[in-house]
Amino acid sequence: MSLIRVVDLTKKFGEFTANDHINLTVEKQEIKGIVGENGAGKSTLMNMLYGMLQPTSGKICINDEEVKFNSPQDAMAHGIGMVHQHFKQVPSLTVYENILLGAEVTKKCGSIKTPFIDTKEEIARIRALIETYHFQLDPMETVANLSVGQCQQVEILKMLYRNVDILILDEPTAVLTPQEVDWLMENLKSLAKSGKTIILITHKLREVMAVCDSIAVIRHGVVVGETRKADTSEKELAQMMVGRDVVLTVSNEGGQAPSDDVIYRVDNVHAVNEAGAEVLHGVSFRVKKGEIYGIAGVEGNGQSELVRILTGMLLLKEGHVSINGEDITNSWPHELRQKKIGIIPEDRYRDGLCRDMSLDDNAVAGYFTEDVCRRGILNRKAMHKKFMGQVDKYDIRISDEYGNVSQLSGGNAQKVIIAREFESCPTMLIASQPTRGVDVGSIEYIHQSLIDFRNAGNSVLLVSSELTEIMSLSDRVGVMYKGNIIFEVDPKTTSVADIGLLMAGTVPESLRDKA
Amino acid sequence: MNKTKHSSHIGVKTFNSVMPVLLAFVIGAVIIAVIGENPLETYRIMITKSLFDIKGLTRTLQVAAPLFLTAIATSLCFKANIFNMGIEGQLVFGGFMAGIVGHYVTGLGSVPHKLLCFGVSILCAVVFALIPTLLRAYLRVDEMVVTLVLNYAMARILEYLSSGIFKDRGAGYVATPPVQDSAKFFLMGTTKVSPFIFIAILVFILAAFIMIRTKLGYTITAMGKNPSFAEATGLQTRRTVVVLMMLSAVIAGIAGAGYMLSEKTFYTLDFSGSPGLGWDGMLIALLGRHSPAGIVAACLFYSALKTGVEKIGLYTSVPNEIVSIIQGLIVLFLAVQFMDERYGFMEKFRQKLAAGKEA
Amino acid sequence: MGAINSIVYETVVYLGPVLLCVLGGLFAYKANVLNIALEGMMLMGAFMSVLTAYKTENLLLSYLAAVAAAMALGLVFSFFGVKMKGNVIVIGLAINMLVPAVAGFIMKVMNLPTITLSWFSTKSIQLNIPVIGDIPIIGPILSGHPPITYLSYLMILIAAVVLYKTRFGVYVRVTGENEDAAVSLGLKTNLYKTAAILIGAFCCGLAGANISMERLSLFTNNMTASRGFIAIAAIYCGRGKPIPCTLYTILFAVINALAEYFSLQVSASLLLKAVPYFAMVAVLSIASAVNRRNAADRGAFAD
Repeated sequence: MSLIRVVDLTKKFGEFTANDHINLTVEKQEIKGIVGENGAGKSTLMNMLYGMLQPTSGKICINDEEVKFNSPQDAMAHGIGMVHQHFKQVPSLTVYENILLGAEVTKKCGSIKTPFIDTKEEIARIRALIETYHFQLDPMETVANLSVGQCQQVEILKMLYRNVDILILDEPTAVLTPQEVDWLMENLKSLAKSGKTIILITHKLREVMAVCDSIAVIRHGVVVGETRKADTSEKELAQMMVGRDVVLTVSNEGGQAPSDDVIYRVDNVHAVNEAGAEVLHGVSFRVKKGEIYGIAGVEGNGQSELVRILTGMLLLKEGHVSINGEDITNSWPHELRQKKIGIIPEDRYRDGLCRDMSLDDNAVAGYFTEDVCRRGILNRKAMHKKFMGQVDKYDIRISDEYGNVSQLSGGNAQKVIIAREFESCPTMLIASQPTRGVDVGSIEYIHQSLIDFRNAGNSVLLVSSELTEIMSLSDRVGVMYKGNIIFEVDPKTTSVADIGLLMAGTVPESLRDKA
Repeated sequence: MNKTKHSSHIGVKTFNSVMPVLLAFVIGAVIIAVIGENPLETYRIMITKSLFDIKGLTRTLQVAAPLFLTAIATSLCFKANIFNMGIEGQLVFGGFMAGIVGHYVTGLGSVPHKLLCFGVSILCAVVFALIPTLLRAYLRVDEMVVTLVLNYAMARILEYLSSGIFKDRGAGYVATPPVQDSAKFFLMGTTKVSPFIFIAILVFILAAFIMIRTKLGYTITAMGKNPSFAEATGLQTRRTVVVLMMLSAVIAGIAGAGYMLSEKTFYTLDFSGSPGLGWDGMLIALLGRHSPAGIVAACLFYSALKTGVEKIGLYTSVPNEIVSIIQGLIVLFLAVQFMDERYGFMEKFRQKLAAGKEA
Repeated sequence: MGAINSIVYETVVYLGPVLLCVLGGLFAYKANVLNIALEGMMLMGAFMSVLTAYKTENLLLSYLAAVAAAMALGLVFSFFGVKMKGNVIVIGLAINMLVPAVAGFIMKVMNLPTITLSWFSTKSIQLNIPVIGDIPIIGPILSGHPPITYLSYLMILIAAVVLYKTRFGVYVRVTGENEDAAVSLGLKTNLYKTAAILIGAFCCGLAGANISMERLSLFTNNMTASRGFIAIAAIYCGRGKPIPCTLYTILFAVINALAEYFSLQVSASLLLKAVPYFAMVAVLSIASAVNRRNAADRGAFAD
């Protein structure tokens, strides 16, 4: 008897089928890996298991008993808990308040319940819980002050407090350092030993191979393979996942050795957040002509703020930025574009594109050149022609040429941005998380575009939390930790383990002498 | 496929605008019935007296003239996510000053006098609008609360001025003296409409052109749909906030002067009516969903309603407030979408969930 | 002394209803629902209390009617704004338009330009505390006010305790800060939003009754005279925290009382009545500048 059995589960959003007759089993006490590309339908499946979405058809059985979840609470009542990729936390509350959210302990007056919260009892319980599972957390700490790894511990504890037997983790390693990943994997194993069942959703095959007992592969909303770990290999999984052979890394070749001409300088940049706390403590780096400068680091160490400052969205408090010797400190976005700086923003649907505007409108955003806009008056025909030219050149797959951006997949939406920025011939490109949420085919394309751009003698600032991306594309890598670049390394001569240590804030032995 | 998608889209939009109106009228009918009057008869009078005779129809156009302007002025801001509620205050200030200049300046020709009135009105509206504009653009003070509050402040100031130094001693109530004939717009022929309607239409067309065909219009759309995108792609949002609020103040000034010179000719405490031309314009803008064509349709409908209600008092004993109630209900129902415009809010939310988690 | 006493008294007269409105309204603010219908809800309370008192000559029923009517508006607001996910600003505007229209309509049907209560004297419900009432400054603050004014004082404590010490308060704050987190744990966020709106409506209803029935024993249309927007401004400035919000409200009330007092002394009295509005804009601007002193974002919109 399987613990969970999913039978012919289907989920449709309008005309789009996100999950198509999924069949799946999970055994008790196993670690089950669910792998698939971005947009394959993994999260939809899990959201149905967790009661956040309701299936269009099909059924879910737990211990051979059919269940219907209308809310996460239903799922939790059946022992299913989920740790989301984007943590569901309230930053202004403390660790214990977050863990107990929705399960507060209230004071009693005799046998009558009162609505007042019993803070002492709450803290004691959470302290005990943290000790039981050997986590390292202070229950009184405010969540806003925690590192990403600690936030994840809070999320896991939230579920453990609620006595779940089945723990679903959605892309849990996306935001962790390699060392934190190892710690998490060990913990998952011991949780499984202690009787919990774990479902791990990920697109990182190395992790699946490291901890899972069995693996299911999803592609385009269909289960294309379900296998024991012993019967498969990373390569085979990759093939199943994408549906063809894949080149996992683009070769970083063809460029001339970067010259020593510094194109882009960032000097001693300080910035404060809304609460007045400093989030960047004097970041400095240079980008040379014909070079890709990568910034690695665990998310939340100031990369987002840095990019938002460099792209003109935030004001820096102290420091200087210059391009070709010209000062561009605190320049506005339109001034940066005049200085031939192209921008691929971190959150493409917030800063890069407008979902509810037409493709034409998006294709000219930021670049109202003479041909499409004369004396403030737009030439709609020319805008459309311009966009259609980009569609061909950059292989953007669209279904309705007069429609809005919302019709595009993540990869194609990103190509709209890339087309727009490259067409205006920048000499410097700031690219933040360029392949996040993008399918493998588009990743290859985007990586190749960056390399080609560099090879044409231009410069790139690449910020990414995907370590492999940084390592394979960059000529030099700066590692960011707690609001500063703590070390610069050559990716060709540095090991992943060393960069992992740097990302966690320690300079490894082997690099000390270079410091 | 594209064609069908587009036409069904417009169909849904129309449905979403017509449905609130129908519902509001049904509830209005119930209320009329409750006080013992005949709702159908009341509505029949409202419609026939405002649309189906030449006097009524031209009267409707006369009523519509300032409303075209206040509606498009509201839309210019609202569509860009700027909740500027100050049109009302700017309009009454402009109108008041136009009335003052219209009375006290004498000896000018017909055209120069009118131009002067419009100029002063626009200037006053713009200066008054500068307060919320600069606070919004440079200190990010919430424009909604500030503009709302300033409307009240302006009402007090004008109450002071019109009952003090500018009071018409001959009038038995608080009012300013009427404007000179050289400043007045007279009704054309036997109709009930003055030439001001042409000015209103011209300004409306200009504003509509800005909205649809210019980079400023593009910026308005971008700021409305995704302000962060607008900023990140280098549209100068702060400057645009200033430009839009100034532009709408200019239009409010034109509306105020036009209304003074073509309709009221002197200022009274209820100059702008109830709830006020600025508020009427806001309702029309919402009803027309910020599209110029929608605003034209909504404005004509709304003006017919206003014209019609002037007549129901003559034939029935239904209080005029019934129209305010219907207006309020329309706005209330407008706030929700009866049918999903794209794939609807809920579906959008679910897709976001799915997409967000997948990312 | 007489001048100070009368200014202080005038401050409290103005403060009572606005404070109640602020302390009720901040729940919705904390739950991330922008309720600009406070003005309409308050006017509804003012209207229904006097109308009921006029018809029934029963004080208790009048209070109940004020609260019930305002909460009915709260339910309408919640239904359209929370359940149907409509634009809350537009809904608020609609309610603010509807209430004076309905009040005006009913008064026209009843053929009354104002509703005056002849059977009822405001003196009869004023609580005159002996001895304390004679102390300068403290006296006019504590003595000689109708019940709802005292309730508004009490509400400062109630709001702070409910918001920060109870489970309900935590849920309201969480709903406002991170609705996703609340939903993922199965909290019924719509319920908390609705409850927060209804608390506001309840307070507005009573505040309205205070303005019309308790203080003047009459109703004229639009007599709330933008107090609801003053309340919104105070909530904004204090960012929804009970104590700072209270302080801002007191500030507005003092400015208003000063303007009222001096308008009786000088000839430009009407002009002085515009002063509180400008003062409020100034306070809003300063509060906004202070709240944003560390903000590094630029352009015209915050995220």
